[in-house]
Amino acid sequence: MSQSVIIPAAKPVIAKRLRGYSIKKTMAWILFGILLVTQLYPLLWLLIYSFKTNEEILSGSFFAFPANWEWENYVNAVAGGKYWSYLSNSLFVTSITMVGVIFLSSLVAFAISRFRWKYGQVVMLVFLLGMMIPMQGTLLPLMVIFKNVGILNTHLSLILPYIAFQTPIAVFILSGFMKTIPHEIEESAIMDGAGVFRIFRSMILPVSIPPIMTVCILTFINIWNEYILAATFVSSEKLKTLPFGVYSFVSQYSVNYGAIGAFLVLGALPVIVIYFLLAEKITKGMVAGAVKG
Amino acid sequence: MAYGRGRHTPPFVVDERDVKEAEALNVLKVSGWVIAAFVLPCLLLYVCLVFIPILVSIYSGMLDWNGIGASKFIGFANYTKMFTNDSVFWPALGRTFLLAGFSMLVQVPIALFVAILISRYVRRPNFLVSSYFLPVILSVVIIGQLWKTIYNPASMGGMINQILIGLGLDSWMHSWLTEPKVAIFAVILVSLWQYLGYHILIQFTGIQNIPADIYEAAKIDGAEGFKADRYITLPMIVPIFKISVVLSFIGSLQSFDLIMVMTGGGPAHATDVISSHMYNMSFLSMKYGYGSAIATFLVFVCLLATLIINFLFTRLDKRYS
Repeated sequence: MSQSVIIPAAKPVIAKRLRGYSIKKTMAWILFGILLVTQLYPLLWLLIYSFKTNEEILSGSFFAFPANWEWENYVNAVAGGKYWSYLSNSLFVTSITMVGVIFLSSLVAFAISRFRWKYGQVVMLVFLLGMMIPMQGTLLPLMVIFKNVGILNTHLSLILPYIAFQTPIAVFILSGFMKTIPHEIEESAIMDGAGVFRIFRSMILPVSIPPIMTVCILTFINIWNEYILAATFVSSEKLKTLPFGVYSFVSQYSVNYGAIGAFLVLGALPVIVIYFLLAEKITKGMVAGAVKG
Repeated sequence: MAYGRGRHTPPFVVDERDVKEAEALNVLKVSGWVIAAFVLPCLLLYVCLVFIPILVSIYSGMLDWNGIGASKFIGFANYTKMFTNDSVFWPALGRTFLLAGFSMLVQVPIALFVAILISRYVRRPNFLVSSYFLPVILSVVIIGQLWKTIYNPASMGGMINQILIGLGLDSWMHSWLTEPKVAIFAVILVSLWQYLGYHILIQFTGIQNIPADIYEAAKIDGAEGFKADRYITLPMIVPIFKISVVLSFIGSLQSFDLIMVMTGGGPAHATDVISSHMYNMSFLSMKYGYGSAIATFLVFVCLLATLIINFLFTRLDKRYS
């Protein structure tokens, strides 16, 4: 008896609630859609832009596709812009930096997390303090120092500070992970007579591959895109990295709009390709990098 | 801390002395030389390239020096000049905080709102979140140049002005980057645009990490939807929110690559921020001493800001928990 009373009363409530939610849900999806357009359309626009002739670009139909796809722009960009040279410089600088960061910071992280010594926490603190120091603060003194040492305008003048500025976060991530490795591993290794370096190289490092990947990703994104140091410390054309190369190209070819567009697309391409392949790893890595403070 | 929990759960009760002894065994005992071999290469490089430059910068901030010739020690004269007799400095500082303000009060809250909506309504969020994130991984140079073309006058193919013409809003057209009043907002917009996805990602991950059973418990108590967000998500997200705020503040203080790429601080210093002012003084006007003073000030503000934000959030944390 009581049930038959409750059910009809309850039904409209449920229906109303469902409808209420679905309106909210639609609103949310509209918002997501708008954001998707604002975040991605400029990039898509650039891609279309890069295939247009100057006349088409200036004609004002920003929405239209080009009449015929102007591959010429890309030919001009690659030929006039030393794209391959910039690209290989970027590859070189970034990969050396990555190797350096991994090597140096994993040594320190190992020492901090697995050794018993008085100053472990002090060293950690020094690195943590450095994370708050802005890179620009060191720009001028580093330039003076590098000039005096004689390595200004070499790749070394980029790689050294890059490594230095990436180590704090790397040490932080790696030592955080290494603390969680069970200690039985080492004990059995010591019983078997393995030395410290052996333990580090053939036991701790292989286990630490996942956080090392995170550090690699963070270093790659930061260093690949770094512009200010590259523009300040390096001046010869054949040493420039990609972001600086893009900048020089744009200032040189300021009226060839299509070629500029093409060069920007080419400049973004390596990172975008890697992002498509590793999107989830990259987003996870960047979050891990952010959650340091 | 690791065995604090053990004490409260009977099956795992461990004598603390045992634990200490075990720990002592666990951690490698090595000679000072080995420690040095592991730590020193990195530490030396780090100290030489980060801390020593800062010290040098503090020192040369007290010099009257053009970088090449003789330098003269002038104490705090550079700072006096900076605070009292530099028509660019205070507006630049103001714009730096304007950027930080927009970032902290507009971008981060929007990101939190979007993150909450995504975690509530989207079953497979990966595509959405990684699409929003895409601009973050692109070089500032590319972003800056892209937006420069977008901001171009319509006669040069600029998208925004062409859209405005298309909508019949010709009067709203601006030459966005060369009009002093508009330029700084045009640059700020780009900065907000680029990093919105970053903050969405950070906070979305934070929300995902809130244990689901808390929501279930709340549901039983009648808290669902936005009520649950108000009483569970917001308090639980505070630490992650703090990270976003710190990042956006520090990022704004430092963000001058975008400004260097897009406007170089112009027109007529209308988009100068502290760091671009520092750069222009040091490398274009060749006032090394003065530039160093500004750089020192910047480092100081960064450290101070991190401390203040941390302090504020510690208080906020206490109130909520």
